[in-house]
Amino acid sequence: MTRQPRLAWLLAPATLFLVLVYVWPTLGLFRIAFNEVGPTGAMIEAWSLATWRHVFADSFTFELTLNSIWLSLTSTFLALLLSYPVSLFLFRTESRFRSLLAVIAIMPMLVSSVVRVFGWLAILGDRGLINSLLQSLGVISAPVRMVYNWTGVTIGLAESIMPYMILALLAGFGRLDRTLEEAARSLGAPPWRTFLRVTLPLSLPAIALAFGLGFILSMSAYITPKLLGGGRVFVLATEIFEQATTNTNWPVAAVLAVYTLALLLGLLALSNLFSRRLQT
Amino acid sequence: MTGAGPALSAAAGVVYALILSPIVVVLLLAFSADNFILFPPSGYSLRWFIQLAANGPLLNALLLSAQIAVAVTALSLLIGVPAALALAKGGFRGAEAMKSFFLAPLLLPTLIIGLALLLAFTPLRLTATLPGLALGHMTITLPFVIRMMTTAFAAMPDDIEAAAATLGASPRRVIRRVTLPLAAPGLIACAALSFLLSFDETVISLFLSGPRAATLPVEMVRYVEGRTDPLIAALSMVLIVGTLVIVVLVERLVGVARAFGNERS
Amino acid sequence: MAYLELSGLTKRYRDSVAVDGLSLSVERGESVALLGPSGCGKTTTLRMLAGLVEPNEGVIALDGAEITRTAAHRRNMGYVFQSYALFPHLDVARNIGFGLEERGVARAEREQRVEDALQLVRLQGLGHRRPRELSGGQQQRVALARALVIRPSVLLLDESLSNLDAKLRDAMRHEIREIQRSLAITTLFVTHDQVEALTMCDRIAVMNRGRIAQIGSATDIYERPATRFVATFVGRANMLPAERGADGRLTLWGEALPAAAPSGGEVDVFVRPQRLKLAPAGEPAGADMARVSGHVLNSVFVGDHIEVIVAGPGGQRLTVEIQSGDAPPPDGAEVAVMWRAQDTLVFPREAA
Repeated sequence: MTRQPRLAWLLAPATLFLVLVYVWPTLGLFRIAFNEVGPTGAMIEAWSLATWRHVFADSFTFELTLNSIWLSLTSTFLALLLSYPVSLFLFRTESRFRSLLAVIAIMPMLVSSVVRVFGWLAILGDRGLINSLLQSLGVISAPVRMVYNWTGVTIGLAESIMPYMILALLAGFGRLDRTLEEAARSLGAPPWRTFLRVTLPLSLPAIALAFGLGFILSMSAYITPKLLGGGRVFVLATEIFEQATTNTNWPVAAVLAVYTLALLLGLLALSNLFSRRLQT
Repeated sequence: MTGAGPALSAAAGVVYALILSPIVVVLLLAFSADNFILFPPSGYSLRWFIQLAANGPLLNALLLSAQIAVAVTALSLLIGVPAALALAKGGFRGAEAMKSFFLAPLLLPTLIIGLALLLAFTPLRLTATLPGLALGHMTITLPFVIRMMTTAFAAMPDDIEAAAATLGASPRRVIRRVTLPLAAPGLIACAALSFLLSFDETVISLFLSGPRAATLPVEMVRYVEGRTDPLIAALSMVLIVGTLVIVVLVERLVGVARAFGNERS
Repeated sequence: MAYLELSGLTKRYRDSVAVDGLSLSVERGESVALLGPSGCGKTTTLRMLAGLVEPNEGVIALDGAEITRTAAHRRNMGYVFQSYALFPHLDVARNIGFGLEERGVARAEREQRVEDALQLVRLQGLGHRRPRELSGGQQQRVALARALVIRPSVLLLDESLSNLDAKLRDAMRHEIREIQRSLAITTLFVTHDQVEALTMCDRIAVMNRGRIAQIGSATDIYERPATRFVATFVGRANMLPAERGADGRLTLWGEALPAAAPSGGEVDVFVRPQRLKLAPAGEPAGADMARVSGHVLNSVFVGDHIEVIVAGPGGQRLTVEIQSGDAPPPDGAEVAVMWRAQDTLVFPREAA
């Protein structure tokens, strides 16, 4: 079709929508971060850093940050360990069910996160699958606590970010030339040496990108820490929600949100830098 | 190198089992006869499905979610498809910048979007209303629709539309008679995914729901926070089956649409 | 004024000029080929005619009316795309009837004309097939029928045969030529295949770098190429540097060349391989004949002819074509190569 600049006005409704329902509220969020909270708890219009000082003077903020980063690191690392073989398998397999297998791998994306959390409660709970199994085998006598604590949240979070990481890794593998592996094999490298000397180094940029993606998704995840943590796991995401809804302390929620966003941007830049380094 | 090899296949198999385990467990638990989450269940029954059919709040939430998802899908397509068309075919200056602008909401965590919307909607009394929730969901579905359809339109061979023009079809007629029919499979898939995205959206809904209006995922979160019985498993079963029906239906429709002639030889 | 006039047509892209001040006149009912290597601007020219690309400069006039900026859908040009561009969601009959529907032709007449068009391209009874159920040759015919059924002012064919296999291409070439003649439809045919251009068109415009290098009949182009580019692009060619003797006359491989030399400057001699004849070494040249001697380097059997490579004293090579029934001289044999003086063309040497 010949180019039709006149079509540009078709962008108007979508642009208007996003300006009103996305850009404006986001700017509003930044604005409210500079408001103050009065002694009665009511919000006072201002341009001050009082709320920032209040939030960062509180050692709990520091603890939340560490919790969030630690949780994200562990669950992303776990998810990476599990996602890598699946992605490599999907990349290499010549099964005629390849596309079906790929869809199954990312199926959790299509299932509500609440449903999956509920599934983990049934697997990891005190009377869940694993405890029942271990008890009937006589390995343990009392149930091991695996939900409503860090273990459960880490496992649940890892599972929830895996589909995204598998996709990211697969996209990265797509650029991996299979003849390179064949060349290594023809030069006498056994499969595991081929993997270590060719496949793994070449997939490092994909790993860096997938890790960055998983980390960012974990940092901002709310449902899994909330439900599998059972109120005992405190991270930035749960605190933002608490402050915004239960406490209706909007300035604090906004400050924490802007702070989290800044952390994420920093990490994103870092992950991009790594990925680019590895590619050259 | 041929195929995946036994070691890699075995490792992938284990991970697959892990990925699918929560879903399988939920499906089995739906038929539990127990009063609490016990796995494996001590007995099987349909009692939780019967309970579900009598649970007013959950059924109301289901209805609200369905209404919102339909409205969100319709509106997202209505304003998203023309925008995608313009981005893919317009070729005007700034089209690339506009593409990035429309993608931006997908990069922001829903936690942040939800908070921003809560702060913006509260003074407007839009929280805990159907329009408010629908607008909130559209911040996710609209960029998604625009992105998917821009790709679909851009992938269309230019010559086919040029052919229609040389045969006397005005630009408007080309869009109606050629571009849109050829994009039909993409449109169907896009509508279905947009529906599911809205229906399953949880975080933004949690910020925007109140006691008056709560979507199904919000009611489910509240239920799971308060109690641990297999009722949610029964509901999950219904949702998973519903999702599968939609996915299969789309596959059929899109498959049919492909057979109808969108296949590139 | 001719039926179709292009004058000073120019299309610039950001960093290149696709078509550079091109002018061309086409008479009603005439068939003209735009022949040239890829990137020479021939398809861009065709697309400008169809209104799919807007020229930066120049004028297109059809039957006395200017149509330079007329929208594609108001031009009534029948365009056959290289990819055929059939509508995959419509059956063959609706593909062909598309343009008639857009013109608001009544159903009964439309069906009749679609039927006639199917008959014209010998696809009767396939009206209800989908394009993808047809072979490449059949798709090509549908594309042709779809462009013809609207009774276009000009039929534009864009490399329309290049996606067919060699045998089918031969058949389609004759078929399209016949249809074009019987309907007396003005046709512009873009191709990089000289055989297509030579056999299908009344006149050929050889294009190079966005300009027309030469326009004329097939014989003109082949026998009297106007430029070095045309000489080497159309048909096979020997192109050798000539020397200038003290008297200013040309010599080749140390022997006088009976050909008029343009004054001054370095020149190249051009002669087609099939016009060359081998003779025993030392045989004198007849009247109005050119002659050089050398030795046979090797001979290559190419099917319908044999290419004998003859090397001169300076190591330069000439390709001589002899009939495949004849026995080529053995490698290393001293031979004379002769040709009629009138078959020699001389071009000024171009900077590399």
